[in-house]
Amino acid sequence: MKVIIVGGGKVVYFLAKVFISKGYQPVIIDQDKDECLWLSQELKAVVLNGDGSRPVLLEEAGAREAIAVLAVTPRDQDNLVVCQLASKMFEVERTLALVNDPENQEVFHRLGVSVAFSTTHIMATLIEQQAGLEEVVNLLPVAQGKMTVTEVLLHQGLPSVGRSMQELDMPSGSLIGAIIRGDKVTVPRGPDRLQDGDRLLLISTPESYGPALRCLMGKEV
Amino acid sequence: MGICRQTTKRRQVNRVMAKSLFIVVVGCGRLGSLLANGLSGQGHSVVVIDRRAEAFDDLSAEFSGFKVVGDAVESETLRKARAADADCLIAAAEEDNVNLMVAQVAKDVFQVKWVIARVAEPARELAYRQLNIETVSPTSLAGDYVLRSLAQDK
Amino acid sequence: MKDQKILVVDDEKNIRLSLSQALAPLGWPVETAVNGEEALGKLDDQSILLIILDLRMPGMDGIEVLRRVSELRPDIRVIIVTAYGTVERAVEAMKLGAVDLIQKPFSPEQIRDLTQQVLARDQLNEDKAADYQTHLELAKKAVGERNFKGALSHAQKAIALDPYRAEAFNLVGCLHEVLHQREDAIKNYRMAYEADPSYAPARENLDRLTSHGGRGPISWESAGKQRKDDK
Repeated sequence: MKVIIVGGGKVVYFLAKVFISKGYQPVIIDQDKDECLWLSQELKAVVLNGDGSRPVLLEEAGAREAIAVLAVTPRDQDNLVVCQLASKMFEVERTLALVNDPENQEVFHRLGVSVAFSTTHIMATLIEQQAGLEEVVNLLPVAQGKMTVTEVLLHQGLPSVGRSMQELDMPSGSLIGAIIRGDKVTVPRGPDRLQDGDRLLLISTPESYGPALRCLMGKEV
Repeated sequence: MGICRQTTKRRQVNRVMAKSLFIVVVGCGRLGSLLANGLSGQGHSVVVIDRRAEAFDDLSAEFSGFKVVGDAVESETLRKARAADADCLIAAAEEDNVNLMVAQVAKDVFQVKWVIARVAEPARELAYRQLNIETVSPTSLAGDYVLRSLAQDK
Repeated sequence: MKDQKILVVDDEKNIRLSLSQALAPLGWPVETAVNGEEALGKLDDQSILLIILDLRMPGMDGIEVLRRVSELRPDIRVIIVTAYGTVERAVEAMKLGAVDLIQKPFSPEQIRDLTQQVLARDQLNEDKAADYQTHLELAKKAVGERNFKGALSHAQKAIALDPYRAEAFNLVGCLHEVLHQREDAIKNYRMAYEADPSYAPARENLDRLTSHGGRGPISWESAGKQRKDDK
């Protein structure tokens, strides 16, 4: 099964290796002549030197029988054109493109690319998930620091888990603005109970921040 | 009342200028600067975009439009140039792929009615005509011209 | 030809040309100045009625020019030209009596419409004010006269007439900022945003006041996604 990869550098090298190990036949199109030499020595793959957004080269690479085309150059415009030519001229079913400007992810979808991925977006999500592992994430000081918005992650064993808003007795000057449960966000009312895994949006003055956290977590974090 | 009178007058003034279009030109190279100068000279409202500020040196002293420095393949740059309000966008950058991408973004995302892209490579041009993008290929134009004049000489 | 003049102040030649050409059909003679110093030198000319002023210029900054104009010739109306996406100086300009902003790039119709709107304001009659637009215009006229309380009152009348429009709320927000009433400003920007989420100035103002250190707005919808590197 043939897969065409347009781009250069280590990304292409490792992508091709992965594909080879899974039994695909990658064909690489790279603009850089020296890199092409290196890639052809290192990999059991066909390597073509040239501009992958030229129809001639795509055809030569065997676009007609390819099951997918990946465009991973650092230039969004090239990645888009590669994918579009592959699907319009050579009827390649799956086209995948790297987008550098995260805004282009949506643009590419609209313009017919099957999968557009943004490294910026992926990295941001990873950092976000990483941050979620900790119990408290300071979000934002607002109104010149007169208010803080904090996100608190609840887990089993904390004194607040299982209790309702009414039972919690939050100190004055603090408020649970929202409960984020899975992908649902609710503004809590008195009878709502906190659960393991909930993420809370805690709004408080700097003075009541400590007491509020103690109330939720049983300790000052 | 004052306002009503002004509104009628405003309409009259705008009708006089009705033929003036709002045109975004992407790329201020040889073709882009020629078009920007020409269109501005014809009284159209022109915004020209280029990645390099030095490119604007090619604009004539009479150019009366706006200059935006930025990469037109980023939507933010097109927003800066107010592409959504444009009557026409001409993608005249040096690179074919920039033009092909910008033309499509202008058409599909910014809903510009009239979009023209300069595409040097004839094979690519052919492919994109099918996508309803109006393309101009200097290569094909020059080629056709030479072939036609040779045929006449025979 | 009319006997009063419009003065265009911009360091960029193409913008001066563009403004001069756009304004020509209105019939007022247009004068130009390439920087603040030259513009101030022309203020003795009593026939200047309106100044169109770019905020970003090398040498004397546009706001400084505006400050001098408002001291020397408070009778002159000023339209401010700003670059795309710069709202932060709107409040500064408003303190100095300039309420009309236009973002580059603009079309000839837009600048003509705004110019006519600004100049028509002086003839507005308070006693006959009955609709939203007139009250809004009277509010802007009051800003031109540095009468911020009066402006507030007219803008609030406009809101009472149509609470589903964003512009008057946004103006009230700006006025509260001018009067150092930050919380009220935020409240009104929020109302403007709720009245019409597509009204960009309100969103930008709200972002500007509620974001911290350029880290972006607090937005409830995406609160779960906003967590990032700010620890």
